[in-house]
Amino acid sequence: MKVKIDTRPLPVVIASRWWRFPVYLLLGYGLYHFYQSPPPEGLSLEGFRALVVFLACLVLWVFHLLPLPITGLFSLIAPVLMGVMPAKQAFSFFGSEPVFFILGVFILAAALLKSGLSTRIALLLLRSAGHSPKRLLLQIMAASALLSFVMSEHAVAAMMFPLILVITRTLQFIPYGGSYGRLLFLAMAWGCIIGGIATMLGGGRVPLAVGMLQEAGQETITFLQWTSAVLPVVLITFLAGYLVLTRFYTIDVDSVANADDLITTKLRECGRPLLEEKFLALLVVGAIVGWTLWGNRFGMATISILVVVLLFMFRVVEWKDLEENVDWGIILMYGGAIGLSTILNSTGAGLWLVKTQVLPHLGSPWLLVSLLSLVSLLLTEALSNSAVVAILVPLGLSIAPTVGIDPKIIVYTVASAAGLGYALPISTPAMALAFSGGYFRIKDIVLPALLMDLISWLALMATARLWWPLLGIRI
Amino acid sequence: MNPAVLKLELMAYGIRPGEGLFQPLANPFGLVHLTLPEKLAVSIHLQERSPYSLHNRNNRFFLEKNGETIPVQWTPPLKAYEKKTSSGLAIKEILTVHGGLIAVHPKGPCRFGLSGLSCRYCGSTKALNEHPPFTKKDLVEAIEMVLEEKRCDFVNLSSGRVTSDDGGVEWLTPWVVELRKHLHILISLDLALPRSLEWIDKTYAIGVDALYYDLDFFNPDETRPATFQEQRDLHWKALEQAAKIFPAGAVLSHLVIGFEPLEETQKRIDLLIGKGVVPILVYFPPLDGSPLSSRWKITPQEIQGLYARLFEKLTQTGLNPHWVQQRDVILTPLEGRFLSDQPARYPLALQNFYETSLGRIVTLGLASLRRHLRVREVPAP
Ligand code: SF4
Repeated sequence: MKVKIDTRPLPVVIASRWWRFPVYLLLGYGLYHFYQSPPPEGLSLEGFRALVVFLACLVLWVFHLLPLPITGLFSLIAPVLMGVMPAKQAFSFFGSEPVFFILGVFILAAALLKSGLSTRIALLLLRSAGHSPKRLLLQIMAASALLSFVMSEHAVAAMMFPLILVITRTLQFIPYGGSYGRLLFLAMAWGCIIGGIATMLGGGRVPLAVGMLQEAGQETITFLQWTSAVLPVVLITFLAGYLVLTRFYTIDVDSVANADDLITTKLRECGRPLLEEKFLALLVVGAIVGWTLWGNRFGMATISILVVVLLFMFRVVEWKDLEENVDWGIILMYGGAIGLSTILNSTGAGLWLVKTQVLPHLGSPWLLVSLLSLVSLLLTEALSNSAVVAILVPLGLSIAPTVGIDPKIIVYTVASAAGLGYALPISTPAMALAFSGGYFRIKDIVLPALLMDLISWLALMATARLWWPLLGIRI
Repeated sequence: MNPAVLKLELMAYGIRPGEGLFQPLANPFGLVHLTLPEKLAVSIHLQERSPYSLHNRNNRFFLEKNGETIPVQWTPPLKAYEKKTSSGLAIKEILTVHGGLIAVHPKGPCRFGLSGLSCRYCGSTKALNEHPPFTKKDLVEAIEMVLEEKRCDFVNLSSGRVTSDDGGVEWLTPWVVELRKHLHILISLDLALPRSLEWIDKTYAIGVDALYYDLDFFNPDETRPATFQEQRDLHWKALEQAAKIFPAGAVLSHLVIGFEPLEETQKRIDLLIGKGVVPILVYFPPLDGSPLSSRWKITPQEIQGLYARLFEKLTQTGLNPHWVQQRDVILTPLEGRFLSDQPARYPLALQNFYETSLGRIVTLGLASLRRHLRVREVPAP
């Protein structure tokens, strides 16, 4: 890090550094004001205050006034301070099953990264592109997507990023100096993003949404159910992503033989797979089978934690590896978000909001699904994926019974759409990493990203209409 | 008599003790501390040939020159000088106090000191090399002892003689950090010119509140080396950058009067102020025996116009004169008001406020707040 002195006029510096404080004050005043006010007709006092807390967290999430995990923690204490429920009850929401499922998944991803198994798989998937730049591009996108089926997409991006960087160097691209360099990074990021929605392991979004569903007292969605529901969206968007990339940006190299050589050399450097790697691969497969077959019976979290225990029993990873590689903060955020969603539903606040504010404008289930997915897709460009889920799923779950659709549909719709942010670095860590490569700027990507948003929405709608009924999910 | 003229004359000619004056009059560095009319503080050398003599009648002190008497106040030397730190070092071997500024030379004397052109901040300039080395802990203890006896708002650390690219900041950083950790006081550094400007950002970021960059002479003459021009350009660049970063008035540059034509000094005052730098006019005779003493001829009368101009220019630009704290060894820019017709109501009121306890708290608070706001960490390119 380097020190820099901000020499702008002091009022400008103060405004840029302290703008949050007036907003905090305003929020604090708002909370106090509503704490004193009587609830609107038809809503209990607790429900009213829960709604106020939800709106406050919404502001905190949307404007990033606090780090996401801290807002998560705030959402646990705010209901207590506002007298919605006793502390014991509020904090108990944190201990929900999905939080532990996510914990297990993150630990598994950390182990994959640490052991080098994920890099080996990535290299195997990238190998043999020969001289063809198009083929290498497809392989990068496919490798990123496939790995994101089993690891959280940000872990995949973190692992792929250095690989792509050496490839671009080998091909002698300077940053922002070649269309193909840009393509490689985008293929990596979009691969991760699209692959990330395919299973429950691609990130925390799906477990978070499923957790909210469960806490609302609904039947859960299993691993296999999720994947089979969204697979068509994944396939369509993947194909479209590849086509959009290759149509929008020219491939300005003739041969990628150098990169191919590099990948072969790197693969050779990895040597033979170690016993730990083989064991880890077995565990990943075992975990997927376990989630699919016994997820309902034992709970998804039980299986993922069991896998973690096995990891340590066979000393595949050390605790300190996990300390560095697991995103602990996001777990706090999820705990808080699930709690808040539960509070919103259990106090009847969500239902009231929907009945009075949303339903009068929204009659048909189809309208609801199309709107929710569209809003989710657009919001996720500007907000973190998890924040979008934290905001929209509780609302959606409250609407579902009144509009007469299965609450699971809300989860399918929002959680998948919330994963598909293609343009801005704030939407997902994969895009942030791709940007940090310095091969493209936001303006280079606005158009293709908007096109992808549209395609994703259409794909989701088509899947909902044509595919979901075959699986017994009816809107 | 105009108090500013009196101060200049005393600085130029020194004083001699009148008959029957008890000893010790002077502090361990040979300086007698007096407060002149209009509360002008001055530290004066004892000088046998001086036209001014100091007398004491019924505990009232006065100066006498050609039969004329001027009432003054005498301040006894700081008792803290005679105390010792826990490691056994005498405080007077660690620091010197001038007005509201504690001058420290952790690395030994600078080029002034070595040239014999004492700037008097360290008092016994010549003996600096012989001082025992002291630690940061010694320094903190020594400053604490001084502060128990006297209010000082600044510690000034001198980089000594430096040739490295950073101008001496790197070496001084741990000292600054230590002072910041233990003391609530403003810190200034007397530095050589850095080769790269990012050192100036770093200097502010580590907790330095004010900065001195000096270039001894302005006008190149045939005796100066060919690199002088280059040095001078670097000097301007560094000063410009520092003025952007530090608070208004907190970048200072000493100007030695008496070795160049007055017009040159005048030009340089204008240039410095134009760049947001407060010039500090240094007017003392070189140490006896110094090769420079034969060149030093200029009289207090001749330089009065410079001080008047400095005061007038400074008040026009709004540079805060409060950062100049070594008020007993120089005629400060604000004291130049006695040589000018221009009113000094606003800067004086401000100065009076800073002198209060509340003023001190506000100054220190604002300085830390400003740093908190302005310093950022950015990824290295
Ligand atoms: S700056 Fe002044 S006090 Fe310090 S060493 Fe040089 S001459 Fe002495």
